[in-house]
Amino acid sequence: MAITEVQRPGLVPEPSPATRLVAWLTTTDHKRIGILYFWNSFAVFAVAGVMALLMRTELAQPGTQLLSVRAYNQVFTLHGTLMIFLFIFPVLAGFGNYFVPLQIGALDMAFPRVNALSFWLLPVSALTILSGFLAKGGAAASGWTNYVPISVQQGAGEDLWIAGLLLAGVASILGAINFIVTILRLRAPGMTMMRLPIFSWATLATSLLVVLATPVITAGLVMLFADRRLGTTFFNPARGGDVLLWQHVFWFFGHPEVYMLILAAWGMVSEIIPVFSGKPLFGYTGVVLSFLLITALSFSVWAHHMFVTGQVELPFFSVTTELISIPTGVLFFNWLATMRKGKLRFDPPMLFALGFVAMFLIGGLDGVWMASPAMDFAIHDTYWVVAHIHYVLFGGTVFGIMAGMYYWFPKICGRMLSRRLGQWHFWLQFIGFNLTFFPMHLLGLRGMPRRIADYAPDRGWTFLNSLATVGAFVIGMAMLVFLVNVIVTLRRPREAPADPWGGFTLEWATSSPPPAHNFERLPPVRSSRPVYDMRTAAQAAAEGAEP
Amino acid sequence: MVARRCAVTAAFLTAAVLLAGCAQQGVSTQGQDIHDLYVRILLLATPVFIGVEAFLLWCVVRYRKRDDRPAPQDPGSGRTLGVFFAIPTVIIAILFPFGEQTLSYVQHRDKNPGVVINVDAFQWEWTFTYVNEGLVETGKTLVKAAVMEVPVNQTVHVHLRSRDVMHEFYVPALLFMRNALPGHPNDFDFTPTKLGTFPGQCAEFCGLWHSKMTFVLKVVSPPDYAAWIQSEKAAALNVSCPTGPPAVQLVAQNTSWNTACLAVPPDQPWSATVTNKDAGIEHTFGVFDSSTEGVKYFLSPPVPGPTVATFQLPPLRPGRYYFECTIHGPSMSGTLIVK
Repeated sequence: MAITEVQRPGLVPEPSPATRLVAWLTTTDHKRIGILYFWNSFAVFAVAGVMALLMRTELAQPGTQLLSVRAYNQVFTLHGTLMIFLFIFPVLAGFGNYFVPLQIGALDMAFPRVNALSFWLLPVSALTILSGFLAKGGAAASGWTNYVPISVQQGAGEDLWIAGLLLAGVASILGAINFIVTILRLRAPGMTMMRLPIFSWATLATSLLVVLATPVITAGLVMLFADRRLGTTFFNPARGGDVLLWQHVFWFFGHPEVYMLILAAWGMVSEIIPVFSGKPLFGYTGVVLSFLLITALSFSVWAHHMFVTGQVELPFFSVTTELISIPTGVLFFNWLATMRKGKLRFDPPMLFALGFVAMFLIGGLDGVWMASPAMDFAIHDTYWVVAHIHYVLFGGTVFGIMAGMYYWFPKICGRMLSRRLGQWHFWLQFIGFNLTFFPMHLLGLRGMPRRIADYAPDRGWTFLNSLATVGAFVIGMAMLVFLVNVIVTLRRPREAPADPWGGFTLEWATSSPPPAHNFERLPPVRSSRPVYDMRTAAQAAAEGAEP
Repeated sequence: MVARRCAVTAAFLTAAVLLAGCAQQGVSTQGQDIHDLYVRILLLATPVFIGVEAFLLWCVVRYRKRDDRPAPQDPGSGRTLGVFFAIPTVIIAILFPFGEQTLSYVQHRDKNPGVVINVDAFQWEWTFTYVNEGLVETGKTLVKAAVMEVPVNQTVHVHLRSRDVMHEFYVPALLFMRNALPGHPNDFDFTPTKLGTFPGQCAEFCGLWHSKMTFVLKVVSPPDYAAWIQSEKAAALNVSCPTGPPAVQLVAQNTSWNTACLAVPPDQPWSATVTNKDAGIEHTFGVFDSSTEGVKYFLSPPVPGPTVATFQLPPLRPGRYYFECTIHGPSMSGTLIVK
């Protein structure tokens, strides 16, 4: 017996680089696809981040220094489009791909080939949108909201934008169906819905939003293309169409979209805070209920993006918008109550999770002003909105994404990211972020409209703009620290233990990185924290054996 | 690290105070009401902000892991969750009526406004038509901002329209913005209470020169306003230029004509050559009896940019006529003198 078990490396040759490349290109393993999602998303993050730095450099001082007006309009459009549709959403889908099957104790996603297809559509989508820069007239330049009629006037870059988003939309719908089926059908024995890890709940809620909302924007994009190229008049008021139809279609998708971009980050933070507090998530049921309430309510608030059109029912959408802050507020209470009386450890994942709570609070509160229509008339379409969206999507989601990266990196790569570089990364990102985006509230109150390529020196906006530009470069430094951390860590040997943080959920019950088939054996699932149960049972057994 | 966190909190508190100070007062009664709403929301939001951030910091300091004893495994009770749902509900219940009260005041329309102005927005200029005074004010894109002059303490009614894409009428000092939408005119009132000159600009992205689509709101005393109306009317009547051959040349660039006055000899056919230098934008050339466009003598088909087109026009009797690009309206108009 012993002889047959001896490893004989000579019989299994190291795969050649070409074979390994083909293996990656044709993989249907959810973990490998998850890693592809990360590489693709962070590449887009880098491109769209450089665009942000170009914009901030241009806006640091009045006058045109770096970008022509034409270039600026293209750059701000693609910055928003790429960050929202091709960085944040896909990177969260990457976490979902890698960790949902592990968290629920499954072998893979329900439809592995569909899973590969939804990933491979994304780089094609990103390249299609970016290829607009090579088109006559340049890339799309109507903002990420792409309002008509301005988007009907644009050149071929706009068609490429529409095509790219159609691909991303199809990718996300396929992915969402895959997540829903995986979570509903492939859970391990004992993993009831109310024992589902909270990140998997968040991914389920996100997927429901995608399935219900994304087909609406897909239809809208087809209508827009038809208006541009096939002579239809859905959005042309001169021939019986309506410009507001686009906004209704866009925001009926667009507001649920905001929750698609934050729910999974809430899920990650709701995993990380309990682990690093040494306590279960306070009010698990309340968090699940809040997720579901937000999912439902998010379909009733879209027209708060349209208060200033003067063409929507203001009190109704104001009330629904304010109602959605109730379940959101409950999440904050649950996170704080989880920390109370805990044993808090401040490793990088926890730092980013705490940064998330502190910053997302601001993004939630400054939204309250805009939820009141009369107040919205004063600050809508100003830099206040730019501040708000970044406190939600950067202060919220990106801090959450970084918390997730530091938390799960050892599981994905078998190596621990440097704690010291992680702390540098956190503090630079925290300071740079506030330096960039807090002054934008004040710019909004002082009347600086968003999406302007230039401003007059006598408007009193110069100092705050310069400050924001300095902050943007501090964020850039933070991201370089993160990049260095990843590169340095990837060159080290694989030494991470299966469960470096004292985790609760099933992904910590397998090796780091997990084998191709995910688990050698699954622990019994008798609560929402099977790995915690296993650990405490082992400790109790050890203590029982000692005397 | 704890000290750094405290410093960060202190910075935030200072910022919150600054935020209150930085909100500008409105220069209209409606704007002042919106400012008051801003302060009310600030008073509700600040305790929430301080409470949550302070509790977070307190947890960070108080519950830092110091030993290996396990934490109490408290999963939370239904009762606590009930309280968690109740707190934001109460805050929203207080906040909502404040907002609605201000909204009803801001949306209120005066039955007898002092001044009625039709505001037309287009790429990338504004036209202000004073309906009762029969006066049209406009600017020259990238050269001169349009001026909207109004008397203090009188209700100004604005009828807001767009001639092409979406725009937005925004004067920060009024704490107010409203979209100009093709196909959906908007109406609103404001009552300026402070004399002065206040910058305004388009706030809805509208293409290449969006950032330069500025205008100026000038609030003056009623006598100054009356005098300004008189002088603007007289200036419009005094426009004059020498008569040349029966062939005129017009250049459209940045949605402006190169001239506000044309002159041709009477009772003979004449030609007009229109050079459109605005890539992607169409212009027309029309001749009417006056800016109300009661009688149409000629209207060309749209001239796409950049092209040149020459049109043959019928003979006209001696007199003063009005020419206009009907796509862009009074801002691209002028006087045609036949003599």
